[in-house]
Amino acid sequence: MSPEQTSLAFRENTVRALEDTALRAAMKHATDTFGTKRADAFAPVTDLEALRDRASAIREDVLANLPMYVDRFVASATRAGATVHRAKDASEAREIIAKVLSARGARLIVKGKSMVSEEVDLNSHLEAAGMEVVETDLGEYIIQMEGETPSHIIVPAIHKNRRQVGRLFADRLGVPYSDDPQALTKIARKALREKFLSADAGVSGANFAVADTGSLVLVTNEGNGRMVTTVPPLHVAILSIEKMLPSLTDLPAFLRLLPRSATGQTITSYVSVITGPRKAGDATGAKELHVVLLDNGRTEILAGEARDILKCIRCGACMNVCPVYRTVGGHAYGWTYPGPMGMVLTTLLTGMRKSHPLVDASTLCGACVEVCPVRVPLADLILGLRRRKVDEGFADPRERRGMEAFGKVAASPALFALGQWLAGAFWPVVRALGGKDVAGRMAAPAKTPLRRRLP
Amino acid sequence: MSGADRERIFLQNAATAAAGTHSVSDTGDLLAALGRVVAMDAPVYCPGVTSIERAAAALFPNRVSDTAAAAVTVEEVFGAIAETGTLVCSSEGGRAVQAGLLPAHHVAIVRRERIFGTLDDLFAAVAGAPPTNLTLVTGPSRTADIELTLAIGVHGPEKLDIILV
Repeated sequence: MSPEQTSLAFRENTVRALEDTALRAAMKHATDTFGTKRADAFAPVTDLEALRDRASAIREDVLANLPMYVDRFVASATRAGATVHRAKDASEAREIIAKVLSARGARLIVKGKSMVSEEVDLNSHLEAAGMEVVETDLGEYIIQMEGETPSHIIVPAIHKNRRQVGRLFADRLGVPYSDDPQALTKIARKALREKFLSADAGVSGANFAVADTGSLVLVTNEGNGRMVTTVPPLHVAILSIEKMLPSLTDLPAFLRLLPRSATGQTITSYVSVITGPRKAGDATGAKELHVVLLDNGRTEILAGEARDILKCIRCGACMNVCPVYRTVGGHAYGWTYPGPMGMVLTTLLTGMRKSHPLVDASTLCGACVEVCPVRVPLADLILGLRRRKVDEGFADPRERRGMEAFGKVAASPALFALGQWLAGAFWPVVRALGGKDVAGRMAAPAKTPLRRRLP
Repeated sequence: MSGADRERIFLQNAATAAAGTHSVSDTGDLLAALGRVVAMDAPVYCPGVTSIERAAAALFPNRVSDTAAAAVTVEEVFGAIAETGTLVCSSEGGRAVQAGLLPAHHVAIVRRERIFGTLDDLFAAVAGAPPTNLTLVTGPSRTADIELTLAIGVHGPEKLDIILV
């Protein structure tokens, strides 16, 4: 993975993405498929709006009382036998995990899919400490082999087609080329099974943490999450503090919404609820469980006006419907989280200085707001961040002057007509100068303006 | 939801999730069903803890005690959920939950009276004192990580059979 944030180069990143025809075809196929599957999965749910209200209310309660729920989780998980660590930022989280692993002599680490571990750039840190870190989610396995980062929070290798994966496996694993997803899956199963059985430790994320019982909840399909958390003797889980739910009885609402929103499934193949390490009389569970709760700026977000972004349950539905994400893919956003939720979270977690072009990566069409299962007001949050971008002086002053000038011209019919005439007259020059840039992609002005064609 | 409704809805949803479903009335029927779905010469993990498992275990000449070495697991599980066609596996009572994960074929036996109607019913029952590991299993292991094309049997079982007794 590459820890270097490239959000400031968002515009250049998008131009590169737009020229990548394989990427655009993969994105179109994937996001269209997601749309259909999601709609089919929700069709039989008759009380969907009530379900969304309930889930939204639970998340709001969690945020309103987050320190209390975190404390309660720490107490319950500790009582269940886990060791809980609080990390205030990425470097603290990396240090804690590296220390736990190296103190037990761990050399081979199998990892389950965890966006929070991507956020803190855990892998390169552990590798620098001499450990072998193997991503075991199929999509993560593919991009780790390619040296890439995830381009989607649910389907990390969404930007790759089956032929690219087939060639990668043939090159790196020395297996015969195949572009059949089932055959490629079997190859990964065989290669990774050996790793699971010989690993010294498993590192996972968690979808939810339950305050009352100290349980971790993992929602998965492949079974690698179950392997990572039950087969090696040591399990380290890393999650961000806002993933709290008050009680296990709150879980069903989220188990009904998350898989349907994420992959269009009624429920995923596996849902694991892990409460502490293996106890006397148990035949399942890691012998030792460490939980790292990451803040990394979230307490600050909680106190600000964008706190609703912390309601997010990471289903990825907002990116699948976003016209910008669907066109340019996830890498263009230049950090861990892409799409509408990602642009908001990236700006808040890494700061406007490192990410301000992202807040313009939205048409404010509201499709994300419509699909969000927990009612995160993404369009309002994006607008708020645009205001902040102007207030903090990151907006281009030419944009404001241009808009003011356009406002004057548009208010005067004579000036507006003159503008239209000028645009038509100078268009060939603008197009020639613009090259591949924005002007080069724009349609030529109409010979007769629309308003003169109307009766 | 009546018991008959729970059973019907469970079987229907489990089949939709690509599990093989079988419904039997007594131990004789159960053994006959196991004879049909399990490859008899395969290494079978069958813990033989419950009375149902003890009856089943006698069938298999090649029983192994290491779940990683087994090709098939035959076990009685904690329960099931009608709403989603889900099996509930629990570590309670020293059960090895990974037994339903490592072998390529998982054969789960569920007693009819252990079918919960909904996810809410299950979590209301376990919320006070959950076991170390509670895993909900719906169909075989799957992925859609390559071009969103469904592939079965990634890291967990490629085949799941459920026998209701």
